[in-house]
Amino acid sequence: MTTLTGRADARTDLDHGQIVIVTARWIMIAIGLVLSIFYPTGTVGELRLQVALILLLGIANFYLHAQLLRRKPIPVWVAYLASAADLLVISILLLPQGGFDSYRYVLYFPALLALSVAFEPAVTAVYAGAAIVVYGAIAVLTAPVPADDLPIVVCRLLMLAAIAFCGVVYWRIEQERRLGRTGKDQT
Amino acid sequence: MTTVRTADREAAEDVFFGQVVIIWARWFLIVAGAVLALWTTHDSTALAVAVLPIVALMAMNFYLHGRYLMERPSNRTQITAASVLDLALITALVILWHDDRAVGNGLANPFFIFYYPVLLAFAFVVPRRLTLLYTGLVVGIYAAACLPYLHGVVDAKVLALRLVTLAAMGGLGTFYWRIQRDRRRGR
Repeated sequence: MTTLTGRADARTDLDHGQIVIVTARWIMIAIGLVLSIFYPTGTVGELRLQVALILLLGIANFYLHAQLLRRKPIPVWVAYLASAADLLVISILLLPQGGFDSYRYVLYFPALLALSVAFEPAVTAVYAGAAIVVYGAIAVLTAPVPADDLPIVVCRLLMLAAIAFCGVVYWRIEQERRLGRTGKDQT
Repeated sequence: MTTVRTADREAAEDVFFGQVVIIWARWFLIVAGAVLALWTTHDSTALAVAVLPIVALMAMNFYLHGRYLMERPSNRTQITAASVLDLALITALVILWHDDRAVGNGLANPFFIFYYPVLLAFAFVVPRRLTLLYTGLVVGIYAAACLPYLHGVVDAKVLALRLVTLAAMGGLGTFYWRIQRDRRRGR
């Protein structure tokens, strides 16, 4: 019974958090598209890939937003897949700019924030862990001077972890408040 | 009258329960600062100077975390003052910290990422108006710190992406804060 209540609560959390994910994705799509099209610095092939990925993300987000507007629940697996796609697209967009040198890694921040407040902590941990490992690998492997750049990579990874962790702590606090348990066991 | 009192009480509870998110964000900042100081300084004087603000931040956070654990948490004024101090320290780091290897000043300084968790945690805890003020302050101060170092369109694109994602952290944080408040009120 407790498990069923927990699942229902997680489902409700996901329903309420989805709009944050969708909004964060619109922000990422808008800024990603504007920065890609305005004064492009890469080759045509790179730009084609970037625009195609961003437009695909836009189409998927339109579908998800439409579901929310029609008050239809988004299947859990679709929500998980969409968030995985966000992180994948951001990682792909870093590569043509040199990985470590790419300024686009900051797009991970709103993406991680959105999923950390929508998904359960265990799921957030998996996504945040995967993003940190993937970005860490990209950054370390593409750093021009690894010995000098490593502290910068470590700081970036720590801040990515901080965003996910803060989201999880806040998610738990709010859950405790709704359930009427206001002890501070989350510290 | 009752509505006003309930809203005030709810805002006070938001600060009471939520301030641990700000405290955790600051612990991440302290760890990252310590990594930076220990790893990147090349002489003992620079290390000593770099460690001082970290120790000060640690002392403040120990005090705030200790009060929280003793169920005597800080009020809104205190956490706002501490968050403004975080902002001042990060901005000083962005403007002043540089070396002859990987770290430059202003736009070339990679430690602007410390703003992200601080901004998000603040947005989770305080009411919307204060969050918007704080977000505007962060965006404005960071833009002012970087403007002297802009050299062309690519730099402007980099700065635009950073400013938009910073604003998104404050915006999405307060958006989720409002969703949670409405859930507690049963809307």
